[in-house]
Amino acid sequence: MKIKSIHILLAIIIIIGGGILLASELDLYNTTRVKSPRKTAEGICDVIDMRGSHTLDEIEKHCQLPASSVIEAFGLRPDTIPEFFQLKDMKEIFKPVELEGEEYIVETDTVKVFTSLYMKIPYVSDETFYLPEKTVNYLVENDKLTGEEKEYWQGHTFKLEYLDTKYLTASEFTKIVAEEAEGLAVTGSTTIQELLDNGITEEKFEEVTGFKIPDKKSVSVRDFVIEKGIEFGEIKDKFIE
Amino acid sequence: MSKKQSKNKYLIRLAVQIFFLALIILVSLNQWRSEQGLLPLLIGRPSLHAVCPFGGVVTIYTYFTEGAFIQKIHQSSFTLMWLIFSLTLLFGPVFCGWVCPFGTVEEFIGKIGRKIFKKRYNNFIPLKLDRLLRYLRYIILILVVVNTAISGKLLFANFDPYFALFNIWSSEVTRLSLLVLGLVLVGSLFVERPWCKYLCPLGALLGIFNLFRIVKLKRNEKTCINCKACDRVCPMNINVSTSKVVSDHQCISCFLCTDEITCPVNNTLNFTVLEKKNSRENSEKDSKGKNKESISGGKK
Repeated sequence: MKIKSIHILLAIIIIIGGGILLASELDLYNTTRVKSPRKTAEGICDVIDMRGSHTLDEIEKHCQLPASSVIEAFGLRPDTIPEFFQLKDMKEIFKPVELEGEEYIVETDTVKVFTSLYMKIPYVSDETFYLPEKTVNYLVENDKLTGEEKEYWQGHTFKLEYLDTKYLTASEFTKIVAEEAEGLAVTGSTTIQELLDNGITEEKFEEVTGFKIPDKKSVSVRDFVIEKGIEFGEIKDKFIE
Repeated sequence: MSKKQSKNKYLIRLAVQIFFLALIILVSLNQWRSEQGLLPLLIGRPSLHAVCPFGGVVTIYTYFTEGAFIQKIHQSSFTLMWLIFSLTLLFGPVFCGWVCPFGTVEEFIGKIGRKIFKKRYNNFIPLKLDRLLRYLRYIILILVVVNTAISGKLLFANFDPYFALFNIWSSEVTRLSLLVLGLVLVGSLFVERPWCKYLCPLGALLGIFNLFRIVKLKRNEKTCINCKACDRVCPMNINVSTSKVVSDHQCISCFLCTDEITCPVNNTLNFTVLEKKNSRENSEKDSKGKNKESISGGKK
């Protein structure tokens, strides 16, 4: 049988197009991030699967690591919003340090190691061999390290320095700390439930969007309004007006 | 087959290429709009990583050892990878020749190069060096897959020109990838598809399928008139005219060489499957009849 261009066109439509449709039906075509790290066979949070896009709030919910412990252990602003602060935001706050001749950036893997030590979940990092002095002190004070761990980590510390010296006092870190007066920033990932948790009433929601709150509150505000044909950019700030 | 008919056949592939290029531009545009708080158009806002099958390849080790995808890679990449593998097993690297938007951009720039340099285009690199360089993409494939498995990070994005081109507005794009992008785009003026030929790790992997693909490119030696039109038109510089079955690891199944588009003799060079022994003789008889007609009908 001779294969022609038209056959290739049909094959592309059937295999790629049809394959994507079928995979979508089977929930095997997810193009967005997963909100929770997967669980291990023992049913505990798998530290390896923690991602930079996870927020402190998601880590608290799914790994039982209190957001407040991360905020304190890393010297983040006390008004940091766990719902919005993503692990990868760490690298926007702290200066890279030079350790054993290589540049080290405080970011997701640093939090993974901290989580592993705090929660006693096994995790072997291939890039984090030092922790901030403040973080190690926090773990020691809270009695989270065994004797061997204590000995190792107390000998492998570095001093944390903020990229912006005004970090602790300035009010411009709006994405990751509380907005001064309004106290809420609505982003693309904010769910309707999070709006309600932050004090937005059903009436306010209806006033802004023109629609009643749906039964499924885990859906993001963005997806909800898009489905209703509303421009997300036009309404997102109206919740805090 | 008349020139007009050949052109129509050529347009099928061009239409597919333009469709996928437009799709990726839309994905990129929606990412930008999303960051600006604007409504995504038509297809939501998947990331570029989510719609690239190579993401599935680099995460394959982590997936089977740890059950997780590496950073920035979504399940869609993994699914796409298997779909592309299926397509390639059947028809060869159709993804490279028909779907890949970066290959399409290279090809479009190559058309300008062809106009400027005429016959010299795509013949600048000495043959020996060219043949050697073509194995470079396998080294890159191994390095990328191994280092990604070790680090668990999407290292390839640091020098991936596809990501740089379609994400150029983003701060995620590295200087190195912009440099690679610049070199590839300029290189496309001299060499057809330089990234595909020498550097693309996904092309390397899909190229291996040429050795055992189900639908094969076959040349009928008895009816071939050795005009070498197939060699001249091949974007990957494969010597089609000397092979009985083209299983070169660089073939991208673009169909340009076939008697559907370029080869002037019917039933001489085409992709076939499940060919019966008896039908060969018949096709030879047929082609002898059509041979004269085709040649007199208009040589390329």
